[in-house]
Amino acid sequence: MTNDPNFSGPTTEQLVFDATESQRRRKRTRIQKVGDHLKREWQLYALLLPTIIWLMVFLYKPMYGLQIAFKDYSVFRGIAGSPWVGLEHFHTLFENDQFLRALRNTIIMSAYGLLFGFPVPILLALMFNEVLNQTFKKSAQTIVYLPHFISSVIIAGIVMTAFSPSAGIVNTIIGWFGIEPIYFLTKPEWFRPIFIGTGIWQEAGFQSIVYLAAIAGVSPTLYESAVVDGASRWQMMWKITVPSILPTIIIMLIIRIGNILEISFEMIILLYQPATYETADVVNTFIYRQGLQGGQYDFAAAAGLFNAVVAFILVMTANTISKRYSRTSLW
Amino acid sequence: MRKLSLPLAMLATTALTAPAFADDHLKIVDEPLELTIHMHWPRAQGYGVGGDASQIYPVEEAAREMTGIHLVDQTFGKNTKDSAESMNLLIASGDMPDIVGGHLIKQPVNEFGPQGAFVPLNDLVEEHAPNIKAFWDSHPGLKEAISAYDGNYYYIPYLPDGKYGRAYFIRQDWLDKLGLEQPNTVDELYDVLVAFRDQDPNGNGMKDEVPAFFRDWEEVIRLVVLWDGRSSGSDTYHDFLVNDEGKLEHPYAQEAYRDGLAMVAKWYEEGLIDPEVFTRGSSAREYLLSEDLGGFTHDWFASTSGYNAALADKVEGFNFIPFLPPESPSGRRLEEHRRIPIKPDGWAISHQNENPVETIKYFDFWFTEEGRLLSNFGIEGETYDMVDGEPIYKDEVLNKGEPVNAQMWAVGSQIQRGYWQDYRYEWQWTAEAARKGIELYDQHDILTDQFLGVAFTKEEQEVYDKYWPSLRTYMLERQQAWVLGTGDITAEWDDYVATLNKMGYEDVIEVLNSAYARQYG
Repeated sequence: MTNDPNFSGPTTEQLVFDATESQRRRKRTRIQKVGDHLKREWQLYALLLPTIIWLMVFLYKPMYGLQIAFKDYSVFRGIAGSPWVGLEHFHTLFENDQFLRALRNTIIMSAYGLLFGFPVPILLALMFNEVLNQTFKKSAQTIVYLPHFISSVIIAGIVMTAFSPSAGIVNTIIGWFGIEPIYFLTKPEWFRPIFIGTGIWQEAGFQSIVYLAAIAGVSPTLYESAVVDGASRWQMMWKITVPSILPTIIIMLIIRIGNILEISFEMIILLYQPATYETADVVNTFIYRQGLQGGQYDFAAAAGLFNAVVAFILVMTANTISKRYSRTSLW
Repeated sequence: MRKLSLPLAMLATTALTAPAFADDHLKIVDEPLELTIHMHWPRAQGYGVGGDASQIYPVEEAAREMTGIHLVDQTFGKNTKDSAESMNLLIASGDMPDIVGGHLIKQPVNEFGPQGAFVPLNDLVEEHAPNIKAFWDSHPGLKEAISAYDGNYYYIPYLPDGKYGRAYFIRQDWLDKLGLEQPNTVDELYDVLVAFRDQDPNGNGMKDEVPAFFRDWEEVIRLVVLWDGRSSGSDTYHDFLVNDEGKLEHPYAQEAYRDGLAMVAKWYEEGLIDPEVFTRGSSAREYLLSEDLGGFTHDWFASTSGYNAALADKVEGFNFIPFLPPESPSGRRLEEHRRIPIKPDGWAISHQNENPVETIKYFDFWFTEEGRLLSNFGIEGETYDMVDGEPIYKDEVLNKGEPVNAQMWAVGSQIQRGYWQDYRYEWQWTAEAARKGIELYDQHDILTDQFLGVAFTKEEQEVYDKYWPSLRTYMLERQQAWVLGTGDITAEWDDYVATLNKMGYEDVIEVLNSAYARQYG
């Protein structure tokens, strides 16, 4: 211990007592430990409480209603009073060719949306980061954020006008090259490019904010030392910026994969036509036509539940893969 | 059905103890009786001016005076405009007001009525509602049309008056300019549309005319009527129809549809039909008429005629008038669209109502002469006067610059209670061109009976729900592809029919016909 003659610390007896005491404390049960922790950090948990209550009330309590996917639901009889029908609604769902087509379209459109839509905000953020003129940077950012705040109905109106065969700007431009006007919105092969392109145009700017925030968090010392070492801007971007924001990119990717089946179907409803159902009809629009318009809530709940299960599997898979290869994960 | 026993028992006791009528022949109760009401419809979510329950309708005040029944607002879902949603909230709440009324109540009352949520009205009307009974007797088939699968009916509907809805319109001034006659047959219509396309009737030197245009793309499909096809059996698009043998079938499975749609596709290909008809939407009529581009359409009498006054200054000589439906090659002249005689809107008595007899008597009040005037024209001396026994709107109502129907909604008339509309109400503010058109249509027998819907049993409903939405999707997909020219209906017809059968068309038709036979006998 110590050789200081004036040492006035605990006696040996005292030390022995302390040791047993701490051992006893270490032996305390897990629950007691959590209790201690709560007592010590209660302010933090108090801050968390409203969110937990919100989750309980708005997300966990409604899960009780999911059981109507397995019931013959009548609004009048109520959830508890409606008889069980097992997997009947799921059978109906999978016997339907149009559901399978809608499922295929959902997956294809989400995959394309991810493939083309995911990198754009990252590129935008990197580009904004490299712009030196502040006035230009601010105005360009405002312009790309703006479409995010316009309602889907208006966006759909803009798209319909832009692609109109008689007055649309797109057909006017291709007309300069001697191409006959195309009635884009009735051509199945054009629906997906138009829909995905519109989505990118509408959201890319706003989504880039997350990456800009991540870039802002990169330590300036890294850049300073890179400058001293004589690195070019290009090298700094690839060797410093991109690796620094990689965790953010991966988290965003996982979240995005979790929402993969949640296509913004209000936009599809506004833009699609019977002639383009072939490529445009997704699970949510199918549910809308098949279930909600006829008030078949039980059937619609079954389709929605299936959608959620697939999304859950996807997000778990993405998370596991990410954890294994990049050590970044949601949980 | 178990839940019915309570109200029925009360019905029996109240019938015994009901007081004799006072001198005032419309009084239902001596002591004022309050009944709660759910009244949710597009123009007002609540029973009060504009949905505001604190502002009592003048018409309600008058009805209280006459009957002694006071309606008190208890509307659910006031924060949504979706009446079907508000109805679901109401039923799920388990606390129902005495009267449930408003928009689109037919489907829920027919679904939940047999489960005990609403009181069947057959016997009540028979015993206590002589005026409603008289209406049913003079309009056979309507009571059956609103019945649920158990044979009872559960609501008193809003009954529109007036026969005509849409009509064929043409630019008479363009015809005159090109020296053409009004087309009398479909072939003549074709020639006129070709002339509109090629001979520059708007005189701007450009070939920018859109010969035939429509606000609703479904109206393009309705052109098959000109070649003996059909597009719908009711005032709802793509509906089933009753064929010559009295059986239900779908118009899109008929051979006349195949031949008609082939001709529509040809017209579309030749540029006689608006090339953007599928996406132009509801502003098509406004835009194409005010830009002096559109020549022919099929649209509502009243609102379309209104453009003659609205565009008189903007388009020189503008004269867009209704003309008779052109004859088909077989000589048939048919206006497929007409107003439906019975709406899915109205009001019903809930199972929690303790005064069903008083309530049905109150419903009956609106079918008396006084009740009809009140529900159609507002308050005598304030919105209308009786002139030689006719209700005539006051000049300040007709010239107020606000549509008469909106003025009526504000006083509590023309709202979606169960009432019988009086066409004299609309006629008084219908534009001159439309009145002439209606008189012209009335000289010919060009309307056909409508299919008013069936009520399915649970088993039938399951078959219908399983197959029909997909069939409908397939039919519309193929239909649009054929019109747009990405397929050839004549060549693909046999495959199409085979696919329909594979997808359960026969099963759907079978349940429809069994329900139809049960309901209309």
